[in-house]
Amino acid sequence: MPAPNPRLAALRAEIATLEGAARADAEVIAFGDERVDGRLPGGGLALGHWHEFVGEGLELETAAASAAFVARLAAPLARRGELVWVLRRDDLHAPGLVGLGFPADRLIQVCARDDPEALAVMEDALRTRGVAAVFGEVGEVDLTAGRRLQLACEQAAATGFVLRRRPFGGTAKAATSSAAATRWSLAPSPSEPALGEFGLGAPRWRVSLERCRGGRTGAWILQAWEEDDAAHPFRLVAELGDHDVAAQAPLKLAG
Amino acid sequence: MEGGPFALIATDRGVRRLHAVDEAAATLGLFVGQKATDALALVPELITDEADPEGDLASLDALVDWCVRVSPAVAADPPDGLLLDITGVAHLWGGERAMLDDLLARLARQEIPARAAIAGSAGAAWALARFGEDRTVVPPGAEADWLAPLPVTALRLEPETAAQLIRLGLARIGQLAALPRDQLARRFGPGVLMRLDQALARAEEALVFRRPATPWFARLAFADPISVPEDLARASRDIAERLCARLLAEDQGAGRFELAFHRLDGRAERLAIGLSLPGRAPAAIARLFAPMLETVDPGFGIEMVTLAADRVEPMAERQIGLAAIGEIAREDGIAPLVDRLANRLGEGRVWRAEAYPSHIPERAVVRQAPLAAFGGQGWDANRPRPVRLFARPEPIHIPLAQVPDDPPKIFHWRGRVRRVSKAEGPERLAEEWWRRPPGETTPAHVRDYYRVEDDTGARYWLFRAGLYGGDEPPKWWLHGLG
Repeated sequence: MPAPNPRLAALRAEIATLEGAARADAEVIAFGDERVDGRLPGGGLALGHWHEFVGEGLELETAAASAAFVARLAAPLARRGELVWVLRRDDLHAPGLVGLGFPADRLIQVCARDDPEALAVMEDALRTRGVAAVFGEVGEVDLTAGRRLQLACEQAAATGFVLRRRPFGGTAKAATSSAAATRWSLAPSPSEPALGEFGLGAPRWRVSLERCRGGRTGAWILQAWEEDDAAHPFRLVAELGDHDVAAQAPLKLAG
Repeated sequence: MEGGPFALIATDRGVRRLHAVDEAAATLGLFVGQKATDALALVPELITDEADPEGDLASLDALVDWCVRVSPAVAADPPDGLLLDITGVAHLWGGERAMLDDLLARLARQEIPARAAIAGSAGAAWALARFGEDRTVVPPGAEADWLAPLPVTALRLEPETAAQLIRLGLARIGQLAALPRDQLARRFGPGVLMRLDQALARAEEALVFRRPATPWFARLAFADPISVPEDLARASRDIAERLCARLLAEDQGAGRFELAFHRLDGRAERLAIGLSLPGRAPAAIARLFAPMLETVDPGFGIEMVTLAADRVEPMAERQIGLAAIGEIAREDGIAPLVDRLANRLGEGRVWRAEAYPSHIPERAVVRQAPLAAFGGQGWDANRPRPVRLFARPEPIHIPLAQVPDDPPKIFHWRGRVRRVSKAEGPERLAEEWWRRPPGETTPAHVRDYYRVEDDTGARYWLFRAGLYGGDEPPKWWLHGLG
């Protein structure tokens, strides 16, 4: 074995410390189930990064189920600071978010005119001290914009949630590689009312983790906990294998 | 006007009369109100033109804007006067007299002939500017002495009243002021007494200022006019520092700042910013103005910059030590962000939703300033609501016959069929009947809301307007999603 290059060894050690330090104090939102958390580095959705959520089918246009999912997921961040939601269409309905346990009456809503403006507002908000989470509904985040968002997240340890939403009647942009820490695909899933109850059960989502830096992909059906004081936002209903995802993915075209 | 006497003519109740005369015409014995035919018979060489009262008013209005460089509180006094409240601003010129000279010199440069006076009351200033010596500055409290020799017409009285006083031999204000007050009121009506009191600063007078008078006003004049953007930026920073130093000295903060760039041609370019929390940090204020500076058209140059602060309120010195522990003070973090966004995007584009006590879904949410105090009671948790609410409900098409009072089993929306698998409802919401005249509340204004879920799990908030069995079949609408 050749003698190790001392400079190389020193660099490796430095990288290890840097990464180790980053891991050790990395804070996450845990899903509370090893089957999900185990796929994510740090055991949950990493704070101080931005995450991308893409709806399937019409959901990409309405972003209703994905807004509900993200609101549910990010609700615990309200304790850490201010929340800002950047919109292109101001159709977010605060009472509905409150019903999901999200403090929408404290949420600062901003309506931007176009995507570049929405991204600029997100970046500005993420850089602001005292802001815990920023939500943005944009059509596309290109690589440069994505990197800028990531830098902004790191600067103030805020967490970004990008909901990909195309304008009504507009065309969907193809999913591009991005600087997001994770990318999720979201679709609603039929609820199941508790035994002996009528009507609608707690909302469910078919969630698939399509990209994850330093982790593995996966797909699950998650349901919102009914109790307000639940320790975690979701209950895992089922873990989906690849064939399940494939079987569910094509959209039924009828009518 | 060169070349002979000149007069403006206006038609008053079918008679052509002189509306205004110049000096040459006046020395020839012509006067305002004289019949045009008489005047032309006396002075055949009189040059006349049509009066334009609306144009005069517009010019006076423009002059009001121009005068804001002197004081933010300017009131138009039609047809030909301006009243300026100069409380607290004269020191910027080094005294009232210097201020008056500067103002008149500037007006003269624009070929606007003017007379002016400074006094403790609007009435006294009005009288002295018209009937006294030009550029009179009355020392505080001396109005009575200075007004005494002036004719009673200087009191802004009705022409008939003034004529009556003169007939009675009461030609000077001093004579009028010497009479017992009760006699004055009894014989000539309350109007005379009121005008006298206003002139002698014994009664308040409400002036309609373009902007409310504010002592929070700073001004920066340049020997050489400026026009490059860097100079504008530096000027806005310098003037913000001046005003903020005064705010700091008196423990005040302001919620709104208006910056005006006064151009050489007399026009002013105005910019305004609002703060969500009162502030007085000059750097932050200049930063908010900075992106707007490119919209300023300097014309041939800018000779003066003024900054006025509005919504001024006491603001305590911050407890810096406390903010450092744990959480970040709103002044440091979120407030500047909200200000940046509100000033860049527009105030209507940044808001916080707050509950409003109405059961009509679209009225249950009102927009509140982001950092305003919490006032709402929250929403009823027992009434589930969608995550997205459409500003206008969208019509849905139901292809099959319906069981009355049941939500649809199938409906078309945006070109696709949705098969309803689960439903909850109805939640009946009647229109707020007190908003309509009696008798107009009909079942068509009743909405039955259903939460439904289709076979993919997508959730819809539907309502049926109207009831079955009425004159018109009920209609179905989609109001929200999620």
